[in-house]
Amino acid sequence: MGTLLSSLNIAIQSMEANQEALSTTTNNIANANTPGYTDQSVSLVESRPIEYGGMLFGDGVSVSQITSQRDSLLQTRLDQETQQQSSYNSYLGTMQQVQTLFNETTGNGLQTSLTSFFNSLQQLSTSPADVSLRQGVLTAAQNLAQTFNSTSSNLSQLQESADQTVTQTVSQINTLTSQIANLNVQIASASGGGQNANTLLDQRDQAIEQLSGLIDVSQSDAGGGLVTLTTSNGTALVVGNHSIPLTTETNPSTGFQDIYSQGSDITSGITSGSLAGALQARDQSIPLILSSLDSLASSLGNSMNTVNEAGTDLNGNQGQAFFNLPSSGSAGAAATISVALTDPSQIAGSLNGTSGDNSNINAMLALQNQTIVNGQTPINAYSNLVDQVGNDVSTATSQNTSSQAVITQLQNQISSVSGVDINQESVNLIQYERAYQAAAQVSAVIDSLTASAIDLGQAQSVA
Amino acid sequence: MSTTFNPNILPDLLLDLQTAQQNAENAAEEISTGRAVNAPGDNPAAVAALVLNDAQTSEDAQFQTNISDLQSKLQVGNSVMSDAAQLMTSAITLGTEGATGTTTASERQSIAQQVAGLQQQMLALANSTYQGAYIFSGTNVTAPAFTADSSSSTGVDYNGNSATTSVEISQGQSIQTNLPGSQVFLNSSGNVFKALNDLTNALNSGTGIAAAVTEAQNAFTQINGQAGFYGDALSQLQNTESYLSQETVNLSSQQNSLIGANLTQAATNLTQDEIDEQASESATAQILQIPTVLDYIE
Repeated sequence: MGTLLSSLNIAIQSMEANQEALSTTTNNIANANTPGYTDQSVSLVESRPIEYGGMLFGDGVSVSQITSQRDSLLQTRLDQETQQQSSYNSYLGTMQQVQTLFNETTGNGLQTSLTSFFNSLQQLSTSPADVSLRQGVLTAAQNLAQTFNSTSSNLSQLQESADQTVTQTVSQINTLTSQIANLNVQIASASGGGQNANTLLDQRDQAIEQLSGLIDVSQSDAGGGLVTLTTSNGTALVVGNHSIPLTTETNPSTGFQDIYSQGSDITSGITSGSLAGALQARDQSIPLILSSLDSLASSLGNSMNTVNEAGTDLNGNQGQAFFNLPSSGSAGAAATISVALTDPSQIAGSLNGTSGDNSNINAMLALQNQTIVNGQTPINAYSNLVDQVGNDVSTATSQNTSSQAVITQLQNQISSVSGVDINQESVNLIQYERAYQAAAQVSAVIDSLTASAIDLGQAQSVA
Repeated sequence: MSTTFNPNILPDLLLDLQTAQQNAENAAEEISTGRAVNAPGDNPAAVAALVLNDAQTSEDAQFQTNISDLQSKLQVGNSVMSDAAQLMTSAITLGTEGATGTTTASERQSIAQQVAGLQQQMLALANSTYQGAYIFSGTNVTAPAFTADSSSSTGVDYNGNSATTSVEISQGQSIQTNLPGSQVFLNSSGNVFKALNDLTNALNSGTGIAAAVTEAQNAFTQINGQAGFYGDALSQLQNTESYLSQETVNLSSQQNSLIGANLTQAATNLTQDEIDEQASESATAQILQIPTVLDYIE
């Protein structure tokens, strides 16, 4: 309208607008290093002009909105890649420990005790009646059984450790989904009330990213500022203002924790996140390795038993079982195999009943080259087992490395969009500061003009 | 806001630095262990092949131990053969002497006693042992192969059997390690004990000496022939020993190519990796300290 007062109003509005802009700028600078913080930008717009006497008069400046520089698509891609990488990483955490049990480059594993057992039989074949050589065979057999036992036991312990990780991870998941549900509520009410929900949105994105590190998460917009989270298989995790906690129940046949949601077993449906990595190691990779180990122990042990039972021992008796093994099937063979013979004389080396006959020792030795373990010789079966373990690790390692590279690239892209550029903010700071100062100066001028107007036609009583 | 400018390059810098550090550590590990492959995951196929290589190497070492043992045992048998042949030569000489017309009855009896002495020596030879086991009793090794028996036509009883033992000396190769005493000393084409027994009896009785001498000659030829078994076996053991030594060398070189470090290359890599690491650290420090406009506002 052109009055002094309206001009003062415009100046004051300008100071307020620039103060708000300054405040946003300082907030950006303060949060330059806050993880997940998205840079906020201020939109200053000209206020609606006022029409008076056929003319339009400008009405100053205001802040129309403060927007976060956020790219939801990039964030979703980052979440997905985080799920993959976390899965590989957690899988590797267990499988690298499995690998040390079979690290033949440092002499760990079964090769030495397996070969030594057959070597002791080779030695005995030159002097089958020699008691100390016979004792050597029993000792080598005990070493072999012990190596099977401890390898199997260590593998089981690693499974148990992965199982504990599963339990802890489920607990962490529940904490996060509960937080996200809370944030949903806060964001919905802030958006509904027209307030700036940017900080809350940042926090929710961060929480979802952390959740992606634990389990496969699928996100959808539920309207009104709410997001719905499910696993990629559709199991609900967060719906509106409440979270659906996961629970664990002991599986009666494995003794390990299965994962349940609202009464349904969802264990096999979990596809990524560190939970999937731990499950894959616990439920797939390690059981396969244990099964191969059991096959080896069972086939070798049972074959040795059959051969020994066909011969005559030093006491002239029919041979008995050499090893103790499960009564049927190979499950648990590696964990429980032990030497059944208690005396060196019980090795049934003879087929014709005389002490100098080594025919049955030779038959035991022949097992080395017979395909008694699922169509493979014992040493080939073991070599393939080592290959399997090595491949599990090397595949996951290269997948992990690739995934990390993709994550870094996505983080760079997100940072380009949402990162705080100190230089940009500093320039803004100067601009808003100058505008504020100008507006303040204008106020001072108007103040002096108003004093003049008031003083018109009077002696100066107002300065 | 430019969408192509990334104001926060710290994650990138750190990733580069970590990569450089990891590379340097890997090179250092290769040098200190002497192995390029340090775990199955580094090269699964190589470690799987290493299992077979180690097993073969260990098995070959055992074969060599057995060969050495068998060489000693077969040497005993070999010596017995030559000693036994020697005894038969003496018997033939004595028998020939006894067969001449000029020998008196009492002289013949004295000769007979000497032949009886040869019989006892032959018995001792036939009962030779190696590490406590009788080598000429077939597989009945805990009992003496022969015992003296005056009622027997050969003068001895055989307590062993005709079984033979074979021992593996390299993959897929076995050798027979004994000759049964019955085959060596009671062979129908030249029975050593019978010949000596008959000769003693003939000398004592004065009749059939010539025939007994012929028997002794046949027995000599027979037992001399048996020595061939020991000679052949010892030769085969020697050849296999050489073969195994060579194979051990081959296996060792194969293992080196599977998992061994290329030390020259690793040393070069380490130097380069350390330089990369330092460059990365220096760049990171410098970039982090670049001033912004904020530093210049007064």
